[in-house]
Amino acid sequence: MPQLYRSYAVALISIAALLSSVWYFTTSNPSSMWTTGEINILRSLWINSLPPLPPDTSNSVADHPLAAQFGYQLYFDPRLSANGKISCATCHQAELFFSDGLKVAVGAMKGTRNSMSLIGAAYSPWQFWDGRKDSLWSQALSPLENSLEHAGSRMQYAHLISQDQHYYDIYEKLFGSLPNFSDRIRFPPAAGPVSKKAWNDAWQSMSVKDQETVTKVFVNIGKSINAYERLLLPGPSRFDVYANAIINNDITAMSTLNRNEVTGLKLFIGKAQCINCHNGPLFTNNEFHNTGILSSPGQLPSMGRAAGVKKVRNDTLNCLGTFSDTSNGDCAELRFTRIGDELIGAHKVPSLRNVAKTNPYMHAGQLEDLAAVIDHYNRAPVAMVGHNEIKPLNLNAFEMQQLEAFLQTLTGPPSIDSKWLKRPEG
Amino acid sequence: MKLIQSICILLLFLLCTFALGQQEQAVTNIDNTKLSERQHYRVTFTSKLDPIVINTMHAWIIQIENKTGEPVLNADINVVGGMPEHNHGLPTRPQVTKNLGDGCYLLEGLKFHMSGWWQITIAILDNEISDTVTFDLQLQN
Repeated sequence: MPQLYRSYAVALISIAALLSSVWYFTTSNPSSMWTTGEINILRSLWINSLPPLPPDTSNSVADHPLAAQFGYQLYFDPRLSANGKISCATCHQAELFFSDGLKVAVGAMKGTRNSMSLIGAAYSPWQFWDGRKDSLWSQALSPLENSLEHAGSRMQYAHLISQDQHYYDIYEKLFGSLPNFSDRIRFPPAAGPVSKKAWNDAWQSMSVKDQETVTKVFVNIGKSINAYERLLLPGPSRFDVYANAIINNDITAMSTLNRNEVTGLKLFIGKAQCINCHNGPLFTNNEFHNTGILSSPGQLPSMGRAAGVKKVRNDTLNCLGTFSDTSNGDCAELRFTRIGDELIGAHKVPSLRNVAKTNPYMHAGQLEDLAAVIDHYNRAPVAMVGHNEIKPLNLNAFEMQQLEAFLQTLTGPPSIDSKWLKRPEG
Repeated sequence: MKLIQSICILLLFLLCTFALGQQEQAVTNIDNTKLSERQHYRVTFTSKLDPIVINTMHAWIIQIENKTGEPVLNADINVVGGMPEHNHGLPTRPQVTKNLGDGCYLLEGLKFHMSGWWQITIAILDNEISDTVTFDLQLQN
């Protein structure tokens, strides 16, 4: 019997030794830091998981190369403003990942909202912090007539297209015959549904048919800018190199992230719960959440999505409007929008790609840097309006630094030929 | 004897730890046929998107039978949902957009914007008999 026990003991010890070897080998291999479930999460965040851009059915020229070229020129053209100094690129600067580095945008005057990066924006069904626009073309038109931003009027822009021979030619190639706006009685130099009384009065004096004619040209400007903005896609970051290494077991490339950054990534998908909202390869669910952000000094608390959803439903330039190219049955995002108290104070979840380069943060630039953002989420203060969805995270000081280190790894140049990032010549 | 016991305990510990380390995140598929709360209806709830992925608008089929197994042909249906652990609802307002006949209804406009535990509650009214049924769903990133 003792011999039998000894045999059992030897067998068990051998199995233990074997398991220990396997265990040692797997834990000394960086990929074994991650469970299969965690690797699936890394894959979901990996840039290679980004699907092709969904078609924009509201814009028939969304993927037309000539429209992208036209939109590119319009995007950088300061003549699309009242004072001839403001272009889309004023607040969405390529070198700052299409943001502006300011708390709030400064166009014709100081605005009230932080400029969101445009990289990957074409994937989002909603634009602006409160989602009051449901397409990039409709979004692009809003600042053009906002008195704090470009501060111009749609009539002014229609005249620009008709008077600039290059724009005139490219417009007609894309959209057919451009109406004749030379009659300055019917088509005054500046007119539009804007806050400036003289221009609004001029607009109201125009016939409904002429208003529609001008708005159609204005909308086509937006649709061309939209075509350009669809090219602004994110490129791989150090995180993506690391995710690729883990997914494909490339041991050499696993050293792309250091220990601090990897630990921060673990926190991001685990204890810190960032991934709840910042999910998918763009690190955003493109939805709206109230996270208890304080209002900007001197401003009333923003109602956020609660106000935005009403605006987008009533917007004549939405997906269901007459200027949309959508056929019946589309516009699912708009048709199934929800309302309710949950949306009070809720703002859009921004993409975290290039987040380290797009400070300050939040809808009015309330938080200066990433450390301040992480501190905010760690404390989860009571919301000024509505209900804060987040709860305190109980991260210690080391963990907060590790999380910040990880967020620094999400920077990568846009996946676009650099010729599109520079101001057009001439 | 004690040595063997100790080794066995050690082995058991090692095996458990090893197994836990390798455990995948659980995927709980929806139990897609359920009786309603007060047992008036048997409801089958089937996603037209398979597998279900987050951040994607999609449609479902709701199939309803009464107690005797006959299809409920003209029910009024209201659908709500949310994440109990996060205390928030759906990001959209799904609606039944078509009566497909034979007790089947098309539910459009459903979207999930987070991974985790979701609950979808279907309220059914037919011939003044109302009842609800709740389906649970566990989604991964």
